[in-house]
Amino acid sequence: MTEKTKRKPKSSQLPFALALVIALVVFGNWLFGINPTLAIALAFGIAFGYVLQRSRFCFTAAFRDPWLTGSTSLARAVVVAIALATVGFTLIKYKAFLGEQTIPGMHSVGAIGIPLVLGGIMFGVGMVIAGGCASGTLMRVGEGFQMQIISLFFFMVGSLWGVHDLPFWNTLNTNAPKIFLPDVFGWGLAFVIQMLALFAVYLIAYYWQKKRMGEVE
Amino acid sequence: MKEVKLDCLGEACPIPMLKAEKKMAELAIGDYLIVQIDHSCAMKNVPDWARLHGHNVEVEEVGDGEWEVIIEKVK
Repeated sequence: MTEKTKRKPKSSQLPFALALVIALVVFGNWLFGINPTLAIALAFGIAFGYVLQRSRFCFTAAFRDPWLTGSTSLARAVVVAIALATVGFTLIKYKAFLGEQTIPGMHSVGAIGIPLVLGGIMFGVGMVIAGGCASGTLMRVGEGFQMQIISLFFFMVGSLWGVHDLPFWNTLNTNAPKIFLPDVFGWGLAFVIQMLALFAVYLIAYYWQKKRMGEVE
Repeated sequence: MKEVKLDCLGEACPIPMLKAEKKMAELAIGDYLIVQIDHSCAMKNVPDWARLHGHNVEVEEVGDGEWEVIIEKVK
């Protein structure tokens, strides 16, 4: 076998981990005193970051690898994740709809127009060059990857610039439709249609990899 | 049987994989390619790519957040 590089001696990180957990609990408590929602947001943020880092889940690779190598394993993982989220979000929204409350998250139903297409292309090009999407960049800054500290800086600059120009982009959206599937098809049918569409994407991704790589894991 | 080291430290995904792909094409069967990486995404990307192409792969964590992907060219 090949000669391996000697493992660098490791110092125990346990004291740091303990100190960090204590600091986070104190910080969370402090936030809870100001606004309980902030503390919940912190808890979800930490949990999301942990899962993202451990699972090596990468949205950039999910959209890039099908073209670069033909591998769609991450693309299929994203489809499964969206399908799972569909179940949860449909339940939450449908419950609010039945209780005649305001349906949460409706401001995320955005206009389908030219800015959406342009933004998608710009974000796609940017994330492949920067080596990570928004969540991936944040996660790798935490891992200490220096190049992505630069990505994070310009990610923030770009976001601010985008907000500054938002009124202009919105003028392009004045005639663009906003589609919320349950409004069009009703709740049950909308759910079925979304699931079937996701299943179709999954199948396409599966056969794409089979065709490009000849093998699917 | 030769052993080639490929320094990809500081390179973001997918550069390590593309470099490895190019280097692998130059090697003969039975040669080893050692790809040095420190981008966590490439730690998944490079071994997956090599395995799907039928090569033998081993991943060694040489330091905190620093890996060596050892690929044996099989075909």
